[in-house]
Amino acid sequence: MIRIEYQTQRLSLRFFMLMLVLFFFQAGFGLLLTAQHIDPSLLAGTLNFNIVRAEHTNLGILWVLCGFIGAILYVGPLLSKRELAAPALIKFLFYAVIAVVVWNVVAQLYAQQGLALWYMGQPLLQEGLEYLEGGRIVDIVILIGFAILCYVVLRTFPRVKDWNEIHWGLGLGVIALTFVWIFGMFFVARLDLQEYFRWYVVHYWVEGVWEVIHISLVGFFLVLMFKADVKSVGFAVFWGIALVWLSGLLGNAHHYFWIGTPEFWQFWGSLFSALEPLPLIFCFWHIYLDAHQDGKPVANMPAFSFLLGSVVLEQVGAGILGFTMTFALTNVWSHGTWVTLSHAHLALFGTFGMLGLAAAYYTVPQMRDLAGFDQRPGRLAFWLVFTGMLGLGFAFAIGGTVQVFVYRTLGLDWFGGDVAPAMQVAKLLVPVFGLVFMVGVCLLVYDLLTLGMRARASDETAPAVAPSGWRRPLSGWETGLWLLAMWVFGAIITLGLLSFNLPTVREGSRLFPYLMAGIGYPGLLLTTLLFVARFLRSLDARGQAATAAPGVLLGHALP
Amino acid sequence: MSCAPGEPCEEGVKRRRALIVLGIMGALFIALSAASFLDSRNQVVPATVSYAGYDAIEGKRVFQAWNCMGCHTIVGNGAYFGPDLTKLYGKVGPAWMEAFLPSAGAWPTSGAVQLQLQNAAVAAEAGVDSIDAYLAKYPAAAERITRRGAHATLMPNLPLSREEIGHLIAFLKYTSSMNTEGWPPKPRVDGLAFAQAAPTSASPQPAPIAAQSAEPASEAARGAAVARDTGCTACHASSTQRLVGPGWGGLYGTEVALADGSKAPADDAYLTESIVAPDAKIVAGFAPHMMPAYGTMLDEGEIAAIVAYIRSLGGEHP
Repeated sequence: MIRIEYQTQRLSLRFFMLMLVLFFFQAGFGLLLTAQHIDPSLLAGTLNFNIVRAEHTNLGILWVLCGFIGAILYVGPLLSKRELAAPALIKFLFYAVIAVVVWNVVAQLYAQQGLALWYMGQPLLQEGLEYLEGGRIVDIVILIGFAILCYVVLRTFPRVKDWNEIHWGLGLGVIALTFVWIFGMFFVARLDLQEYFRWYVVHYWVEGVWEVIHISLVGFFLVLMFKADVKSVGFAVFWGIALVWLSGLLGNAHHYFWIGTPEFWQFWGSLFSALEPLPLIFCFWHIYLDAHQDGKPVANMPAFSFLLGSVVLEQVGAGILGFTMTFALTNVWSHGTWVTLSHAHLALFGTFGMLGLAAAYYTVPQMRDLAGFDQRPGRLAFWLVFTGMLGLGFAFAIGGTVQVFVYRTLGLDWFGGDVAPAMQVAKLLVPVFGLVFMVGVCLLVYDLLTLGMRARASDETAPAVAPSGWRRPLSGWETGLWLLAMWVFGAIITLGLLSFNLPTVREGSRLFPYLMAGIGYPGLLLTTLLFVARFLRSLDARGQAATAAPGVLLGHALP
Repeated sequence: MSCAPGEPCEEGVKRRRALIVLGIMGALFIALSAASFLDSRNQVVPATVSYAGYDAIEGKRVFQAWNCMGCHTIVGNGAYFGPDLTKLYGKVGPAWMEAFLPSAGAWPTSGAVQLQLQNAAVAAEAGVDSIDAYLAKYPAAAERITRRGAHATLMPNLPLSREEIGHLIAFLKYTSSMNTEGWPPKPRVDGLAFAQAAPTSASPQPAPIAAQSAEPASEAARGAAVARDTGCTACHASSTQRLVGPGWGGLYGTEVALADGSKAPADDAYLTESIVAPDAKIVAGFAPHMMPAYGTMLDEGEIAAIVAYIRSLGGEHP
């Protein structure tokens, strides 16, 4: 089994634990939002929808960041072959993160009284900008926190000329993380200019920074899990980062279609952000190649499940669903509706959330010095949150399609009288899948918090089943076909959004967009579900074919 | 797609090439960005927009301080709980917004909008001074009044101050005049002709009238109808509940504590004065200048009917 080599790696444990607590509360706020969507009078005047939503989005960002910090602290010493620099600063960072979380949760409540505490033209408490709701005080503390992270990572790494691709990815990632944050720290009077800079932070974080950190970390965890060749992973990381930045830098233009900036952005945004899925396909293909590199059983299935989930949902949520609404002609309809919610939830939780959870499942048992652990709760939790999130994506997409038709095509803008009743079925589906997701969250948080502190259940004694049918080894061809099927459904969704431009639809026929959405979304999400089931089954069968190794071991037997 | 073991990967060279291409992209992005905010584009800026003496930039601060984006979208960004606000001002006009914002929990009635038009500054911003001309100029306001008037909204009553409301309308006047490149798309059909549109209700629920009322039911019932049509009930509950203003339930005949520390009996004279000149006596815990004076809009009979209605809602009979 893999043991912790450097003692400072253990500092990552506290960030993973904090991540789990924040994740629990974030999902809880999400569930409350679904209830308020059904009954808007719920807690109105006590805890208004906008407050709950601000807590939901902010905690979402904060727990993903905790996951990143945890993962970076874990891999940092391994990449550098030495202990982390300045462990005292990391301990300080941990308490700073807690202070930021508590301060910001409380500060958001003041939006209910319209209190931003303006001082020298800047809002100190909270500033009511989507995703950047924190006020200037918390902004500055966060900037200091990022600077500490930069300092620790760069001081720990070897000299620049000895950097491999993963060093480059993480190094550039943490610097850019700090740099683009600065653009969200000013009050801008012009709405178009303010939105222009707000997307610097939001888009470049996600597309420029988080994606880069994601690619680097996925690459390195594949090295750790499958003993993949660092050089081949490094190559994938290089092309991944290059493609992310080359497509994402100008891809930001898809946020500048309708905010008051000129029409030419529609051309550049449609062109370059259509290329944004390329690195994601690359990453997707790589996890297939690496997982099939040595053909040995996967020792830590929960960790691998979440890593696979992260890459697959990145493909589906960010890649395919992002692609469907990235063209000016489809975005003009999807913009400002629930259609974007399906993309946002699958992409953000899927790509970045699941990576943090994968890292936690991989590292927590090691840091608690466990020889093995009961993997069943972790695997069940994966399926609950994965299915729950795909279901949420489905409900948002269907509700969004109805919303586009009623709100944009028919121009009915009475949300209480026209729009919300039309979306009622979708509004009821959201908490159904939300509950599935929440059960998964509770199980996973409980499992990871108490891992190694419970009496260990007896090992699974899975009967050896011949790896045939659904369990037979997954070939490259088959994976390609699954991916193709996902993109075919993605194309159907895109055509469905495009069809809102058709004269018949504009004159009030909803047949075509509803039909395309009715085929495209369930098709895409079911294909995703089945593909992940197929992938994990084929890896399971590998484990059972080699039941010579009893019990469940962590990591790989070192040669 | 990986470089095989033993082969040189030439990472350094590739990295440099990638950075050069990235630099070119960055230069292109900066050039496009600079062109976006040139004066020659003639995009409207908030510094040039004011509304009845209120400031659009201050309005943006109000918009942010209340986190309006947490429920609504603006230029399509924000939450999808309520409608997009970008072009609202141009559709419904200033008088409708003046009537809506102080008591966002209920949709304004025709009377409430008409009252706002009596304010010369609002009428000047609207460009018309009669309600009929206003509704003809702003069909979206007419649609809201006929279909939604006096119904509850999904929005909570927010304790916005008079100043904040003015600034907020100035900000929305600014966003409404922005060039957003054709977004949101203009509908080509009249949505109201479709089944998805909620049917227009003839009259909202009948006003509650206390059974023990000594008042002739007809006078109190007429007062209830006037109060509803004038929009009074958007701010005043028929119970003791506080909406924007004090609740009417159980009010009549009690001693009301005023903001200046004195007390006044809630009798006919007090209630009439509060309708005609609301700022003469401010109830403790409420802000002045929130309620418009209704003396010019309602005749004596209507005011007496409202007072009768309030009397019918219970309280101590002296």
